[in-house]
Amino acid sequence: MIELEAVSTRYGAVPMLREVTLRVGAGELVCLLGPNGAGKTTLFKTVAGLIRPTSGTVRVAGSPDARTERIAALGVGLVPENRRLFPGLTVAQNLCLGYEAVRRERVGFDQGLEDIGRLFPRVLERLDQMAGTLSGGEQAMVALARALIGRPTVLVMDEPSLGLAPKLIREYFRIVEELHARGSTVLLIEQNAGMALRIAQRGYVLSRGSVVADDAAEALRKSSVVRNLYFS
Amino acid sequence: MSTGGSLNTEPGEGGTAPARFRISRDLGTVAATITAVAGLLYVFLVVTVTLHVVIVLGAMAVALWLLQRDPRVEASIAGSFERRRSFALVLGVAVALAYPFAIGQNTYHIHLLVICILYSVLTIALNFQLGSANIPNFATGATYGIGAYSSALLALNHGWNFWATLPVAALAATVFGFAIGLPSMRTRDAYLALVTIACGVIIHQLLNNFEWTGGAQGLIGIPAPSVFGHSFTQPLRVFGLTLPAQANFYYLALLLLMLAIVVAGRLHHSRIGLAWNALRADEIAARSVGINVVWYKMLAFAVDAFLAAFAGVVYAFYVGYIAPDNFTFLVSVMLMTMVIVGGMDNVIGVIIGTFLLTLLPEKLRVFSDYRLLFYGLVVIAFLSIRPQGLFPQRLRRYRGVE
Repeated sequence: MIELEAVSTRYGAVPMLREVTLRVGAGELVCLLGPNGAGKTTLFKTVAGLIRPTSGTVRVAGSPDARTERIAALGVGLVPENRRLFPGLTVAQNLCLGYEAVRRERVGFDQGLEDIGRLFPRVLERLDQMAGTLSGGEQAMVALARALIGRPTVLVMDEPSLGLAPKLIREYFRIVEELHARGSTVLLIEQNAGMALRIAQRGYVLSRGSVVADDAAEALRKSSVVRNLYFS
Repeated sequence: MSTGGSLNTEPGEGGTAPARFRISRDLGTVAATITAVAGLLYVFLVVTVTLHVVIVLGAMAVALWLLQRDPRVEASIAGSFERRRSFALVLGVAVALAYPFAIGQNTYHIHLLVICILYSVLTIALNFQLGSANIPNFATGATYGIGAYSSALLALNHGWNFWATLPVAALAATVFGFAIGLPSMRTRDAYLALVTIACGVIIHQLLNNFEWTGGAQGLIGIPAPSVFGHSFTQPLRVFGLTLPAQANFYYLALLLLMLAIVVAGRLHHSRIGLAWNALRADEIAARSVGINVVWYKMLAFAVDAFLAAFAGVVYAFYVGYIAPDNFTFLVSVMLMTMVIVGGMDNVIGVIIGTFLLTLLPEKLRVFSDYRLLFYGLVVIAFLSIRPQGLFPQRLRRYRGVE
């Protein structure tokens, strides 16, 4: 569902990604790990179509070089770094925007809202509250709910656990695991290697813009590459 | 709204005593507010002595200060309007229709009101961009001018009547709106402002230098419109009363303003209004949820140009004479000030701001050369009392699910 073939990206003269090749098959839960500055967010932006790669090809949901605004309609839900909710709009409006861009008809919205309620009961209690006034944990949930309400088949998340308390991280990852169990394809970009590798099937490790390891989650957990990157 | 159901009970349906009390209190609040606003406008129109102008402005400042100090007052008034929408609408329209009768034969006052109303249409148009989508468009004066010029040229050179020029002028301005929208798409904030300033200046220069636009002298002798044989140059006779000829244009402009308000309201509560607010808040987030930012920005340019052109056409046929200097960069700056002072993304606030700032220079004539200085002082004073504008955007009501 997501295919990156020898993708390189530069910001001006500074290379951010070097020949990155990455594949996420249908129904897979793949995590991408890496320390600060490894190029994780650049990779998210490349997948999301927010920046164009200097070279290489990106295929998301079968479409090459999909622009960001079209990506949602292809069935890809994006959870950008720092949630990026619309702070001045209510939770319901945030969800509504997530829904309407994908599915033009209004009827399915209530159904989508019900599904969301089953995953995050607290989001439904906060529908009329301004998104900017929610707690960090609630904002993280709403951002995920906004990506999910259009019923995407692929989910791409950038550092969703950032700034969350350990208990909330566990809850959040439990939900991601559940979505995967229901058949969603997930690319989880994370700094929290321990938690991510616990739920992922496969993982990639990014360092200074290059993929330095690519293996099953089980193997990566024991790998010295991951340990060295994070603890050296 | 869980409490809304019981409050909306009609009086005849045997509502409980507190509910009935609430209804009459709401009606009273709405009536009192509309009367107060209409009265204040009347006083502001007729005062001429400088001391009195200062007193009126001072009273407004105190009222605004009180509103700012206790937000509950404003919330309660807004609540009353919300619950009694149709009553407020009928009363508001009735007051607007009856206004020329209260003014009587003073053509100067009616003229000022016509200009206020036309400027309100322009600021509502600009508000789609500046208020809803945060696009600082400094070319509204130019789209206004394109509307006025295209209609005037059609009327003078080809003998078209007012009504026929309206759609053509609006179309011409919308095309121009797209034309300035396109180069603006790659820029944002201050850079975007610069692009629109450049476009506005180019249009002004072209109008000034082309021969077929009459150059700096402009176009003279634009014929007044007529409807069902009644020429707009004749006094208006209604119910045995005679109103000056300007009243014809007052009602025409009022019709246009009501159209603009309806369009603004519909758009604000639609998916389009929500998308504009979303891209104002965070463009990347908006793109991430699939909003086509370019399309919605272009749409804001087009809607602005369309409405501004209407105002331009009415202005051209009202005054009968247009020149490039009616549509300068300064006009765009004034319009932007009116939107900011009035309150972004709130139609009522924008209209109030426009009336205040359109009438103010007239009231400060006594200061002659120092007029703009005092104008600036009043703007600064009001903005320091109400930093968000006189009446900023209220929390959007959500209409997706109840």
